[in-house]
Amino acid sequence: MMPSILALMPMLVIGFGALALMLAEVLTDAKTGLAVGTAVVLFTAAAFACAGWMVGPENLGDAAVFAPWLVFDRFTLFFEVLLALSGALAALVAGGYLREHGIDRGEFYAILSFSTLGAMMLAAAGDVLMLFVGLETMSIGAYALAGFRRGSPKSAEGALKYFLLGSFAAALMMFGFALLYGATGHTDLAGLHNALASESLRSPSIVIALALVLAGLAFKVSAVPFHMWTPDAYEGAPTPATAFMAASVKAGGFAVLLRVLLTVFGDERSASWATGWPPVVALLAVLTMTVANLVAGRQESIKRMLAYSSIAHAGYLLVGVVAAIRAPAQAQSAVLFYLATYSVSTIGAFAALVLCGSRGAEVVSYEDLAGLGRRHPAVALPFAFFILSLAGMPPMAGFFGKWFVFKAAMDAGLHGLTVIAFINSVIAAYYYLKVFVFLYMREPAAGAPIAKPMWSGEVVTAIALCAFFVLLLGLAPGAVLDAALAVGGAG
Amino acid sequence: MIPVEHYIALSSILFTIGGIGFLARRNMILLLVSIEVMLNAVNLALVAFNRARPETHAGQMLSFFLIAAEAAELAIGLAIVLAVYRLKKTVRVDDANLLRH
Repeated sequence: MMPSILALMPMLVIGFGALALMLAEVLTDAKTGLAVGTAVVLFTAAAFACAGWMVGPENLGDAAVFAPWLVFDRFTLFFEVLLALSGALAALVAGGYLREHGIDRGEFYAILSFSTLGAMMLAAAGDVLMLFVGLETMSIGAYALAGFRRGSPKSAEGALKYFLLGSFAAALMMFGFALLYGATGHTDLAGLHNALASESLRSPSIVIALALVLAGLAFKVSAVPFHMWTPDAYEGAPTPATAFMAASVKAGGFAVLLRVLLTVFGDERSASWATGWPPVVALLAVLTMTVANLVAGRQESIKRMLAYSSIAHAGYLLVGVVAAIRAPAQAQSAVLFYLATYSVSTIGAFAALVLCGSRGAEVVSYEDLAGLGRRHPAVALPFAFFILSLAGMPPMAGFFGKWFVFKAAMDAGLHGLTVIAFINSVIAAYYYLKVFVFLYMREPAAGAPIAKPMWSGEVVTAIALCAFFVLLLGLAPGAVLDAALAVGGAG
Repeated sequence: MIPVEHYIALSSILFTIGGIGFLARRNMILLLVSIEVMLNAVNLALVAFNRARPETHAGQMLSFFLIAAEAAELAIGLAIVLAVYRLKKTVRVDDANLLRH
Protein backbone atom coordinates (compact mmCIF):
# COMPACT_ATOMS: atom_id res chain seq x y z
CA MET A 1 0.00 0.00 0.00
CA MET A 2 2.73 2.45 0.87
CA PRO A 3 4.39 2.67 -2.55
CA SER A 4 1.11 3.15 -4.38
CA ILE A 5 0.22 6.10 -2.15
CA LEU A 6 3.65 7.49 -2.97
CA ALA A 7 2.72 7.47 -6.66
CA LEU A 8 -0.27 9.69 -5.97
CA MET A 9 1.42 11.89 -3.37
CA PRO A 10 2.57 14.71 -5.69
CA MET A 11 -0.99 15.25 -6.92
CA LEU A 12 -2.56 14.78 -3.49
CA VAL A 13 -0.15 17.27 -1.92
CA ILE A 14 -0.96 19.90 -4.55
CA GLY A 15 -4.70 19.25 -4.47
CA PHE A 16 -5.05 19.47 -0.70
CA GLY A 17 -2.38 22.16 -0.52
CA ALA A 18 -4.39 24.31 -2.91
CA LEU A 19 -7.53 23.80 -0.81
CA ALA A 20 -5.57 24.77 2.30
CA LEU A 21 -4.30 27.88 0.51
CA MET A 22 -7.88 28.86 -0.33
CA LEU A 23 -8.89 28.41 3.31
CA ALA A 24 -5.86 30.34 4.53
CA GLU A 25 -6.75 33.17 2.17
CA VAL A 26 -10.27 33.39 3.57
CA LEU A 27 -9.55 32.79 7.25
CA THR A 28 -6.50 35.01 7.67
CA ASP A 29 -5.70 38.50 6.53
CA ALA A 30 -2.05 37.74 6.02
CA LYS A 31 -1.49 37.63 2.28
CA THR A 32 2.26 37.84 2.37
CA GLY A 33 2.79 34.22 3.32
CA LEU A 34 0.67 32.74 0.54
CA ALA A 35 3.35 32.87 -2.16
CA VAL A 36 5.85 31.15 0.09
CA GLY A 37 3.17 28.67 1.21
CA THR A 38 2.39 27.80 -2.42
CA ALA A 39 6.08 27.36 -3.15
CA VAL A 40 6.43 25.07 -0.12
CA VAL A 41 3.44 22.97 -1.25
CA LEU A 42 4.82 22.65 -4.77
CA PHE A 43 8.38 21.93 -3.65
CA THR A 44 6.98 19.22 -1.35
CA ALA A 45 5.15 17.72 -4.32
CA ALA A 46 8.37 17.81 -6.34
CA ALA A 47 10.18 16.06 -3.46
CA PHE A 48 7.54 13.31 -3.40
CA ALA A 49 7.88 12.90 -7.16
CA CYS A 50 11.66 12.59 -6.70
CA ALA A 51 11.07 9.98 -4.01
CA GLY A 52 8.79 8.11 -6.40
CA TRP A 53 11.56 8.29 -8.99
CA MET A 54 14.05 6.75 -6.57
CA VAL A 55 11.69 3.96 -5.51
CA GLY A 56 11.09 3.39 -9.20
CA PRO A 57 7.71 3.38 -10.93
CA GLU A 58 8.00 -0.38 -11.51
CA ASN A 59 7.73 -0.80 -7.71
CA LEU A 60 4.59 1.32 -7.58
CA GLY A 61 2.62 -1.41 -9.31
CA ASP A 62 -0.59 -1.41 -7.32
CA ALA A 63 -1.08 2.30 -7.98
CA ALA A 64 -2.80 1.17 -11.16
CA VAL A 65 -5.44 -0.56 -9.03
CA PHE A 66 -6.97 2.55 -7.55
CA ALA A 67 -5.89 5.04 -10.20
CA PRO A 68 -6.36 3.02 -13.38
CA TRP A 69 -6.62 6.03 -15.64
CA LEU A 70 -3.31 7.49 -14.61
CA VAL A 71 0.01 6.16 -15.85
CA PHE A 72 2.84 6.24 -13.35
CA ASP A 73 6.03 5.87 -15.33
CA ARG A 74 9.26 7.84 -15.41
CA PHE A 75 7.76 10.11 -18.06
CA THR A 76 5.02 11.15 -15.63
CA LEU A 77 7.45 11.56 -12.74
CA PHE A 78 9.83 13.71 -14.81
CA PHE A 79 6.98 16.03 -15.73
CA GLU A 80 5.69 16.08 -12.15
CA VAL A 81 9.05 17.36 -10.92
CA LEU A 82 9.36 19.85 -13.77
CA LEU A 83 5.79 21.16 -13.40
CA ALA A 84 5.97 21.44 -9.61
CA LEU A 85 9.24 23.37 -9.78
CA SER A 86 7.96 25.69 -12.53
CA GLY A 87 4.77 26.32 -10.58
CA ALA A 88 6.71 27.05 -7.39
CA LEU A 89 9.03 29.50 -9.16
CA ALA A 90 6.07 31.26 -10.81
CA ALA A 91 4.35 31.50 -7.41
CA LEU A 92 7.42 33.12 -5.89
CA VAL A 93 7.51 35.66 -8.73
CA ALA A 94 3.81 36.32 -8.14
CA GLY A 95 4.49 37.00 -4.46
CA GLY A 96 6.53 40.06 -5.30
CA TYR A 97 4.65 41.14 -8.40
CA LEU A 98 1.07 41.05 -7.11
CA ARG A 99 1.94 43.02 -3.97
CA GLU A 100 3.86 45.65 -5.93
CA HIS A 101 1.08 46.14 -8.47
CA GLY A 102 -1.80 46.19 -6.00
CA ILE A 103 -3.59 43.06 -7.24
CA ASP A 104 -2.62 40.97 -4.24
CA ARG A 105 -5.63 38.66 -4.14
CA GLY A 106 -5.01 35.24 -2.63
CA GLU A 107 -6.92 33.21 -5.18
CA PHE A 108 -4.02 33.59 -7.61
CA TYR A 109 -2.04 30.97 -5.69
CA ALA A 110 -4.88 28.46 -5.41
CA ILE A 111 -5.64 28.79 -9.13
CA LEU A 112 -1.96 28.41 -9.97
CA SER A 113 -1.73 25.26 -7.83
CA PHE A 114 -4.86 23.71 -9.33
CA SER A 115 -3.64 24.54 -12.80
CA THR A 116 -0.32 22.83 -12.02
CA LEU A 117 -2.29 19.83 -10.79
CA GLY A 118 -4.17 19.80 -14.11
CA ALA A 119 -0.91 19.87 -16.04
CA MET A 120 0.32 16.89 -13.98
CA MET A 121 -2.88 14.97 -14.68
CA LEU A 122 -2.35 15.76 -18.35
CA ALA A 123 1.18 14.36 -18.24
CA ALA A 124 -0.01 11.29 -16.36
CA ALA A 125 -3.17 10.67 -18.39
CA GLY A 126 -3.65 7.11 -19.55
CA ASP A 127 -7.20 7.62 -20.75
CA VAL A 128 -8.91 10.21 -22.93
CA LEU A 129 -11.21 11.05 -20.02
CA MET A 130 -8.29 11.87 -17.73
CA LEU A 131 -6.57 13.69 -20.56
CA PHE A 132 -9.60 15.91 -21.04
CA VAL A 133 -10.14 16.55 -17.33
CA GLY A 134 -6.45 17.41 -16.91
CA LEU A 135 -6.48 19.65 -19.95
CA GLU A 136 -9.52 21.55 -18.74
CA THR A 137 -8.22 21.84 -15.16
CA MET A 138 -4.99 23.28 -16.48
CA SER A 139 -6.56 25.53 -19.10
CA ILE A 140 -9.41 26.93 -17.00
CA GLY A 141 -6.87 27.95 -14.37
CA ALA A 142 -4.66 29.50 -17.02
CA TYR A 143 -7.59 31.52 -18.48
CA ALA A 144 -8.35 32.87 -15.03
CA LEU A 145 -4.71 33.74 -14.39
CA ALA A 146 -4.43 35.49 -17.77
CA GLY A 147 -7.39 37.69 -16.90
CA PHE A 148 -6.36 38.17 -13.30
CA ARG A 149 -5.86 41.91 -13.60
CA ARG A 150 -9.57 42.56 -13.91
CA GLY A 151 -9.35 46.30 -14.23
CA SER A 152 -6.96 46.21 -17.13
CA PRO A 153 -8.52 46.10 -20.61
CA LYS A 154 -5.40 44.42 -21.97
CA SER A 155 -5.54 41.63 -19.41
CA ALA A 156 -9.24 40.99 -20.08
CA GLU A 157 -8.70 41.06 -23.82
CA GLY A 158 -5.75 38.68 -23.68
CA ALA A 159 -7.75 36.30 -21.48
CA LEU A 160 -10.71 36.48 -23.87
CA LYS A 161 -8.61 35.53 -26.89
CA TYR A 162 -6.86 32.80 -24.94
CA PHE A 163 -10.16 31.41 -23.67
CA LEU A 164 -11.96 31.45 -27.04
CA LEU A 165 -9.17 29.81 -29.01
CA GLY A 166 -8.32 27.43 -26.18
CA SER A 167 -11.89 26.13 -25.90
CA PHE A 168 -12.16 25.91 -29.69
CA ALA A 169 -9.00 23.80 -29.71
CA ALA A 170 -10.33 21.58 -26.93
CA ALA A 171 -13.55 21.04 -28.91
CA LEU A 172 -11.57 20.10 -32.05
CA MET A 173 -9.46 17.66 -30.09
CA MET A 174 -12.41 16.03 -28.34
CA PHE A 175 -14.25 15.52 -31.64
CA GLY A 176 -11.11 13.80 -32.89
CA PHE A 177 -11.06 11.53 -29.85
CA ALA A 178 -14.79 10.83 -30.22
CA LEU A 179 -14.16 9.66 -33.80
CA LEU A 180 -11.29 7.48 -32.58
CA TYR A 181 -13.58 6.00 -29.94
CA GLY A 182 -16.12 5.25 -32.64
CA ALA A 183 -13.54 3.56 -34.84
CA THR A 184 -11.86 1.50 -32.13
CA GLY A 185 -14.17 1.33 -29.11
CA HIS A 186 -11.37 2.46 -26.81
CA THR A 187 -10.84 5.55 -24.73
CA ASP A 188 -7.68 4.34 -22.99
CA LEU A 189 -4.54 5.45 -24.77
CA ALA A 190 -2.88 2.02 -24.70
CA GLY A 191 -6.03 0.39 -26.07
CA LEU A 192 -6.25 3.01 -28.81
CA HIS A 193 -2.63 2.34 -29.72
CA ASN A 194 -3.18 -1.42 -29.93
CA ALA A 195 -6.34 -1.03 -31.96
CA LEU A 196 -4.70 1.38 -34.39
CA ALA A 197 -1.60 -0.79 -34.69
CA SER A 198 -3.18 -4.19 -35.05
CA GLU A 199 -6.37 -3.80 -37.01
CA SER A 200 -6.24 -3.27 -40.71
CA LEU A 201 -8.25 -0.21 -39.88
CA ARG A 202 -8.11 2.25 -42.74
CA SER A 203 -11.23 4.23 -42.17
CA PRO A 204 -11.06 7.86 -43.28
CA SER A 205 -12.40 8.85 -39.87
CA ILE A 206 -9.02 7.98 -38.34
CA VAL A 207 -7.24 10.42 -40.62
CA ILE A 208 -9.78 13.12 -39.75
CA ALA A 209 -9.39 12.27 -36.07
CA LEU A 210 -5.61 12.54 -36.32
CA ALA A 211 -5.90 15.92 -38.04
CA LEU A 212 -8.35 17.25 -35.42
CA VAL A 213 -6.30 15.99 -32.47
CA LEU A 214 -3.12 17.39 -33.98
CA ALA A 215 -4.75 20.78 -34.57
CA GLY A 216 -6.00 20.86 -30.97
CA LEU A 217 -2.57 19.97 -29.61
CA ALA A 218 -0.88 22.52 -31.87
CA PHE A 219 -3.12 25.21 -30.37
CA LYS A 220 -2.08 24.17 -26.87
CA VAL A 221 1.64 24.29 -27.58
CA SER A 222 1.11 27.44 -29.72
CA ALA A 223 2.58 26.16 -32.96
CA VAL A 224 2.21 28.39 -36.03
CA PRO A 225 -0.41 28.77 -37.59
CA PHE A 226 -2.32 28.08 -34.36
CA HIS A 227 -0.36 30.65 -32.33
CA MET A 228 -2.51 33.77 -32.78
CA TRP A 229 -3.62 33.86 -29.13
CA THR A 230 -0.14 33.54 -27.65
CA PRO A 231 1.35 37.03 -27.99
CA ASP A 232 -1.91 38.69 -26.91
CA ALA A 233 -2.45 36.42 -23.90
CA TYR A 234 1.20 36.68 -22.86
CA GLU A 235 1.26 40.46 -23.17
CA GLY A 236 -2.04 41.04 -21.41
CA ALA A 237 -1.54 38.63 -18.51
CA PRO A 238 0.21 39.70 -15.30
CA THR A 239 3.88 38.79 -15.73
CA PRO A 240 3.94 35.86 -13.24
CA ALA A 241 0.94 34.37 -15.04
CA THR A 242 2.81 34.81 -18.32
CA ALA A 243 5.79 32.97 -16.84
CA PHE A 244 3.47 30.20 -15.68
CA MET A 245 1.82 29.93 -19.11
CA ALA A 246 5.15 29.97 -20.92
CA ALA A 247 6.68 27.27 -18.72
CA SER A 248 4.06 25.02 -17.10
CA VAL A 249 1.21 25.20 -19.61
CA LYS A 250 3.64 24.67 -22.46
CA ALA A 251 5.31 21.75 -20.66
CA GLY A 252 1.88 20.20 -20.03
CA GLY A 253 1.02 20.67 -23.70
CA PHE A 254 4.20 18.98 -24.81
CA ALA A 255 3.68 16.14 -22.32
CA VAL A 256 0.31 15.32 -23.85
CA LEU A 257 1.61 15.91 -27.38
CA LEU A 258 4.38 13.36 -26.82
CA ARG A 259 2.02 10.95 -25.12
CA VAL A 260 -0.61 11.14 -27.86
CA LEU A 261 1.70 11.16 -30.87
CA LEU A 262 4.12 8.51 -29.60
CA THR A 263 1.64 6.28 -27.79
CA VAL A 264 -1.71 6.53 -29.56
CA PHE A 265 -0.41 7.38 -33.02
CA GLY A 266 2.90 5.57 -32.52
CA ASP A 267 2.02 2.66 -34.77
CA GLU A 268 3.97 2.07 -37.94
CA ARG A 269 1.50 3.56 -40.34
CA SER A 270 0.65 6.70 -38.37
CA ALA A 271 4.26 7.43 -37.42
CA SER A 272 5.82 6.82 -40.82
CA TRP A 273 7.10 9.63 -42.96
CA ALA A 274 5.03 8.62 -45.97
CA THR A 275 1.59 8.02 -44.49
CA GLY A 276 1.37 9.63 -41.07
CA TRP A 277 1.84 12.73 -38.96
CA PRO A 278 5.64 13.29 -39.14
CA PRO A 279 5.66 15.45 -42.32
CA VAL A 280 2.79 17.54 -40.90
CA VAL A 281 4.57 18.07 -37.59
CA ALA A 282 7.81 18.83 -39.45
CA LEU A 283 5.97 21.48 -41.48
CA LEU A 284 4.50 22.90 -38.26
CA ALA A 285 8.00 22.99 -36.76
CA VAL A 286 9.49 24.85 -39.74
CA LEU A 287 6.60 27.34 -39.84
CA THR A 288 6.70 27.83 -36.08
CA MET A 289 10.42 28.51 -35.89
CA THR A 290 10.62 30.71 -38.96
CA VAL A 291 7.51 32.83 -38.49
CA ALA A 292 8.07 33.30 -34.75
CA ASN A 293 11.69 34.33 -35.15
CA LEU A 294 10.99 36.73 -38.00
CA VAL A 295 8.05 38.36 -36.21
CA ALA A 296 9.84 38.48 -32.84
CA GLY A 297 12.47 40.79 -34.33
CA ARG A 298 9.80 43.35 -35.20
CA GLN A 299 8.28 43.58 -31.72
CA GLU A 300 8.59 46.69 -29.62
CA SER A 301 7.15 45.18 -26.45
CA ILE A 302 9.51 42.99 -24.45
CA LYS A 303 6.72 40.68 -23.34
CA ARG A 304 5.57 40.18 -26.93
CA MET A 305 9.15 39.48 -27.93
CA LEU A 306 9.38 36.85 -25.19
CA ALA A 307 6.01 35.44 -26.33
CA TYR A 308 7.29 35.00 -29.88
CA SER A 309 10.50 33.59 -28.47
CA SER A 310 8.45 31.00 -26.57
CA ILE A 311 6.65 30.13 -29.83
CA ALA A 312 10.03 29.71 -31.53
CA HIS A 313 11.14 27.39 -28.72
CA ALA A 314 7.99 25.32 -29.33
CA GLY A 315 9.25 25.02 -32.92
CA TYR A 316 12.63 23.63 -31.83
CA LEU A 317 10.79 21.21 -29.52
CA LEU A 318 8.63 20.04 -32.43
CA VAL A 319 11.83 19.22 -34.34
CA GLY A 320 12.67 16.89 -31.46
CA VAL A 321 9.17 15.37 -31.60
CA VAL A 322 9.61 14.59 -35.31
CA ALA A 323 13.02 13.06 -34.60
CA ALA A 324 11.33 10.73 -32.12
CA ILE A 325 9.93 8.59 -34.97
CA ARG A 326 13.42 7.38 -35.92
CA ALA A 327 15.32 7.58 -32.62
CA PRO A 328 12.55 7.45 -30.02
CA ALA A 329 14.58 7.18 -26.81
CA GLN A 330 17.20 9.76 -27.72
CA ALA A 331 14.81 12.32 -29.22
CA GLN A 332 12.25 12.05 -26.45
CA SER A 333 14.87 12.57 -23.76
CA ALA A 334 16.25 15.52 -25.75
CA VAL A 335 12.77 17.08 -25.79
CA LEU A 336 12.38 16.54 -22.03
CA PHE A 337 15.79 18.04 -21.32
CA TYR A 338 15.01 20.98 -23.60
CA LEU A 339 11.73 21.58 -21.76
CA ALA A 340 13.62 21.65 -18.45
CA THR A 341 16.20 24.15 -19.72
CA TYR A 342 13.56 26.27 -21.44
CA SER A 343 11.29 26.36 -18.37
CA VAL A 344 13.92 27.63 -15.95
CA SER A 345 15.31 30.10 -18.51
CA THR A 346 11.95 31.57 -19.40
CA ILE A 347 10.69 31.84 -15.80
CA GLY A 348 14.00 33.45 -14.92
CA ALA A 349 13.63 35.95 -17.76
CA PHE A 350 10.12 36.93 -16.70
CA ALA A 351 11.19 37.11 -13.04
CA ALA A 352 14.06 39.41 -13.97
CA LEU A 353 11.65 41.49 -16.07
CA VAL A 354 9.39 41.83 -13.02
CA LEU A 355 12.33 43.02 -10.96
CA CYS A 356 13.26 45.65 -13.59
CA GLY A 357 9.96 47.50 -13.18
CA SER A 358 7.75 48.78 -10.41
CA ARG A 359 4.20 50.02 -10.04
CA GLY A 360 3.46 52.61 -12.70
CA ALA A 361 6.94 52.18 -14.12
CA GLU A 362 6.83 48.72 -15.59
CA VAL A 363 9.13 47.60 -18.32
CA VAL A 364 6.99 47.42 -21.44
CA SER A 365 9.14 48.23 -24.44
CA TYR A 366 12.80 48.07 -25.30
CA GLU A 367 12.99 51.82 -24.75
CA ASP A 368 12.15 51.29 -21.07
CA LEU A 369 15.26 49.18 -20.72
CA ALA A 370 17.55 51.83 -22.20
CA GLY A 371 20.53 52.47 -19.96
CA LEU A 372 19.29 50.13 -17.23
CA GLY A 373 22.65 48.34 -17.24
CA ARG A 374 24.34 51.55 -16.13
CA ARG A 375 21.66 52.82 -13.77
CA HIS A 376 20.84 49.55 -12.04
CA PRO A 377 23.44 46.91 -12.92
CA ALA A 378 22.15 44.51 -10.26
CA VAL A 379 18.73 44.06 -11.92
CA ALA A 380 19.98 44.32 -15.50
CA LEU A 381 22.45 41.48 -15.03
CA PRO A 382 19.92 38.69 -14.27
CA PHE A 383 17.75 39.73 -17.22
CA ALA A 384 20.78 39.64 -19.53
CA PHE A 385 21.77 36.27 -18.04
CA PHE A 386 18.44 34.57 -18.79
CA ILE A 387 18.19 36.17 -22.22
CA LEU A 388 21.58 34.61 -23.00
CA SER A 389 20.28 31.23 -21.87
CA LEU A 390 17.18 31.60 -24.07
CA ALA A 391 19.42 32.54 -26.98
CA GLY A 392 21.34 29.30 -26.43
CA MET A 393 24.72 30.73 -25.48
CA PRO A 394 27.14 28.27 -23.89
CA PRO A 395 27.64 27.56 -21.01
CA MET A 396 24.01 28.31 -20.19
CA ALA A 397 21.31 25.66 -20.04
CA GLY A 398 19.71 26.78 -23.30
CA PHE A 399 22.79 25.81 -25.27
CA PHE A 400 22.72 22.17 -24.20
CA GLY A 401 18.96 21.99 -24.67
CA LYS A 402 19.33 23.04 -28.32
CA TRP A 403 22.44 20.89 -28.75
CA PHE A 404 20.72 17.66 -27.71
CA VAL A 405 17.58 18.33 -29.78
CA PHE A 406 19.59 19.21 -32.89
CA LYS A 407 21.85 16.20 -32.35
CA ALA A 408 18.84 13.91 -32.02
CA ALA A 409 17.42 15.36 -35.25
CA MET A 410 20.75 14.85 -37.03
CA ASP A 411 20.98 11.25 -35.77
CA ALA A 412 17.45 10.66 -37.00
CA GLY A 413 18.58 11.72 -40.47
CA LEU A 414 16.54 14.93 -40.52
CA HIS A 415 19.35 17.03 -41.98
CA GLY A 416 17.16 19.62 -43.69
CA LEU A 417 15.11 20.20 -40.56
CA THR A 418 18.23 20.53 -38.42
CA VAL A 419 19.75 23.09 -40.77
CA ILE A 420 16.55 25.15 -40.71
CA ALA A 421 16.46 24.96 -36.89
CA PHE A 422 20.10 26.03 -36.72
CA ILE A 423 19.58 28.99 -39.08
CA ASN A 424 16.60 29.98 -36.97
CA SER A 425 18.56 29.96 -33.75
CA VAL A 426 21.02 32.34 -35.45
CA ILE A 427 18.19 34.65 -36.54
CA ALA A 428 16.90 34.57 -32.98
CA ALA A 429 20.19 35.99 -31.73
CA TYR A 430 19.18 39.28 -33.40
CA TYR A 431 16.30 40.08 -31.10
CA TYR A 432 17.96 38.64 -28.02
CA LEU A 433 21.04 40.79 -28.61
CA LYS A 434 18.80 43.80 -29.14
CA VAL A 435 18.04 43.51 -25.41
CA PHE A 436 21.76 43.86 -24.71
CA VAL A 437 22.08 46.88 -26.96
CA PHE A 438 19.32 48.61 -25.05
CA LEU A 439 20.48 47.46 -21.62
CA TYR A 440 24.10 48.47 -21.98
CA MET A 441 24.61 50.73 -25.00
CA ARG A 442 21.66 53.10 -25.15
CA GLU A 443 20.70 56.06 -23.06
CA PRO A 444 17.00 56.68 -22.44
CA ALA A 445 15.39 59.19 -24.76
CA ALA A 446 14.62 62.52 -23.11
CA GLY A 447 11.18 62.48 -21.48
CA ALA A 448 10.66 58.77 -22.07
CA PRO A 449 9.12 56.83 -19.19
CA ILE A 450 11.92 55.24 -17.23
CA ALA A 451 11.46 51.89 -15.54
CA LYS A 452 12.28 51.88 -11.84
CA PRO A 453 13.37 48.55 -10.37
CA MET A 454 11.46 47.10 -7.45
CA TRP A 455 12.68 45.03 -4.54
CA SER A 456 11.16 41.75 -3.46
CA GLY A 457 12.72 38.88 -1.57
CA GLU A 458 10.45 36.34 -3.26
CA VAL A 459 11.34 37.43 -6.77
CA VAL A 460 15.04 37.50 -5.93
CA THR A 461 14.74 33.97 -4.51
CA ALA A 462 13.01 32.82 -7.69
CA ILE A 463 15.73 34.42 -9.81
CA ALA A 464 18.47 32.84 -7.71
CA LEU A 465 16.85 29.39 -8.03
CA CYS A 466 16.36 29.82 -11.79
CA ALA A 467 19.96 30.95 -12.19
CA PHE A 468 21.11 27.95 -10.17
CA PHE A 469 19.16 25.56 -12.42
CA VAL A 470 20.33 27.33 -15.58
CA LEU A 471 23.97 26.96 -14.53
CA LEU A 472 23.41 23.42 -13.25
CA LEU A 473 21.82 22.32 -16.53
CA GLY A 474 24.47 24.21 -18.47
CA LEU A 475 27.62 23.23 -16.61
CA ALA A 476 26.65 19.84 -15.22
CA PRO A 477 23.76 18.56 -17.32
CA GLY A 478 24.66 14.95 -16.47
CA ALA A 479 22.14 14.22 -13.72
CA VAL A 480 19.09 15.70 -15.45
CA LEU A 481 20.16 14.29 -18.79
CA ASP A 482 20.48 10.83 -17.27
CA ALA A 483 16.99 11.24 -15.84
CA ALA A 484 15.65 12.26 -19.25
CA LEU A 485 17.44 9.31 -20.85
CA ALA A 486 15.92 6.97 -18.26
CA VAL A 487 12.50 8.24 -19.36
CA GLY A 488 13.35 7.62 -23.00
CA GLY A 489 14.70 4.16 -22.24
CA ALA A 490 11.65 3.17 -20.25
CA GLY A 491 9.12 4.65 -22.69
CA MET B 1 -33.52 1.44 -34.18
CA ILE B 2 -31.88 4.41 -35.84
CA PRO B 3 -28.48 3.33 -37.23
CA VAL B 4 -25.42 4.91 -35.66
CA GLU B 5 -24.39 6.52 -38.96
CA HIS B 6 -27.38 8.86 -38.76
CA TYR B 7 -26.29 10.10 -35.35
CA ILE B 8 -22.76 10.60 -36.57
CA ALA B 9 -23.99 12.51 -39.61
CA LEU B 10 -26.06 14.77 -37.33
CA SER B 11 -23.15 15.17 -34.96
CA SER B 12 -20.79 16.09 -37.81
CA ILE B 13 -23.29 18.63 -39.12
CA LEU B 14 -23.68 20.15 -35.65
CA PHE B 15 -19.91 20.26 -35.22
CA THR B 16 -19.50 21.98 -38.58
CA ILE B 17 -22.22 24.50 -37.76
CA GLY B 18 -20.50 25.25 -34.47
CA GLY B 19 -17.12 25.57 -36.16
CA ILE B 20 -18.41 27.90 -38.88
CA GLY B 21 -20.28 29.89 -36.28
CA PHE B 22 -17.11 30.28 -34.24
CA LEU B 23 -15.16 31.50 -37.24
CA ALA B 24 -17.85 33.72 -38.76
CA ARG B 25 -19.64 35.27 -35.79
CA ARG B 26 -18.37 38.45 -34.15
CA ASN B 27 -20.45 38.49 -30.99
CA MET B 28 -18.64 37.08 -27.96
CA ILE B 29 -21.76 35.45 -26.52
CA LEU B 30 -22.46 33.75 -29.84
CA LEU B 31 -18.88 32.53 -29.93
CA LEU B 32 -19.49 30.86 -26.57
CA VAL B 33 -22.70 29.35 -27.97
CA SER B 34 -20.78 28.06 -31.01
CA ILE B 35 -18.24 26.36 -28.76
CA GLU B 36 -21.10 24.78 -26.81
CA VAL B 37 -22.65 23.50 -30.05
CA MET B 38 -19.32 21.94 -31.02
CA LEU B 39 -18.86 20.28 -27.63
CA ASN B 40 -22.41 18.96 -27.65
CA ALA B 41 -21.79 17.49 -31.09
CA VAL B 42 -18.91 15.64 -29.43
CA ASN B 43 -21.26 14.44 -26.68
CA LEU B 44 -23.78 13.21 -29.21
CA ALA B 45 -21.09 11.33 -31.11
CA LEU B 46 -19.79 9.74 -27.92
CA VAL B 47 -23.20 8.58 -26.74
CA ALA B 48 -24.15 7.28 -30.19
CA PHE B 49 -20.88 5.36 -30.54
CA ASN B 50 -21.43 3.95 -27.06
CA ARG B 51 -24.87 2.71 -28.07
CA ALA B 52 -23.26 0.88 -30.96
CA ARG B 53 -20.83 -0.78 -28.52
CA PRO B 54 -22.97 -1.47 -25.44
CA GLU B 55 -20.41 -3.76 -23.73
CA THR B 56 -18.69 -0.85 -21.91
CA HIS B 57 -19.78 2.62 -20.86
CA ALA B 58 -16.59 4.47 -21.74
CA GLY B 59 -18.24 6.84 -24.20
CA GLN B 60 -21.12 7.77 -21.89
CA MET B 61 -18.78 8.35 -18.99
CA LEU B 62 -16.59 10.58 -21.09
CA SER B 63 -19.62 12.58 -22.18
CA PHE B 64 -20.66 13.12 -18.54
CA PHE B 65 -17.23 14.49 -17.72
CA LEU B 66 -17.38 16.63 -20.86
CA ILE B 67 -20.67 18.16 -19.74
CA ALA B 68 -19.27 18.96 -16.29
CA ALA B 69 -16.04 20.45 -17.63
CA GLU B 70 -17.96 22.41 -20.26
CA ALA B 71 -20.02 24.02 -17.55
CA ALA B 72 -16.89 25.06 -15.65
CA GLU B 73 -15.30 26.34 -18.82
CA LEU B 74 -18.36 28.36 -19.73
CA ALA B 75 -18.48 29.90 -16.27
CA ILE B 76 -14.95 31.21 -16.71
CA GLY B 77 -15.77 32.26 -20.27
CA LEU B 78 -18.80 34.29 -19.23
CA ALA B 79 -16.76 35.88 -16.43
CA ILE B 80 -14.13 36.94 -18.95
CA VAL B 81 -16.76 38.26 -21.37
CA LEU B 82 -18.33 40.23 -18.50
CA ALA B 83 -14.94 41.66 -17.56
CA VAL B 84 -14.38 42.76 -21.15
CA TYR B 85 -17.88 44.21 -21.34
CA ARG B 86 -17.43 46.21 -18.13
CA LEU B 87 -14.23 47.75 -19.47
CA LYS B 88 -15.18 48.31 -23.08
CA LYS B 89 -19.02 48.33 -23.12
CA THR B 90 -19.08 46.03 -26.11
CA VAL B 91 -19.40 42.32 -26.83
CA ARG B 92 -18.01 42.46 -30.35
CA VAL B 93 -14.68 40.70 -30.72
CA ASP B 94 -13.57 43.17 -33.40
CA ASP B 95 -13.50 45.87 -30.75
CA ALA B 96 -11.02 43.84 -28.71
CA ASN B 97 -8.08 45.31 -30.56
CA LEU B 98 -5.77 46.77 -27.92
CA LEU B 99 -3.15 44.09 -28.31
CA ARG B 100 -1.43 44.48 -31.64
CA HIS B 101 2.14 44.47 -32.69
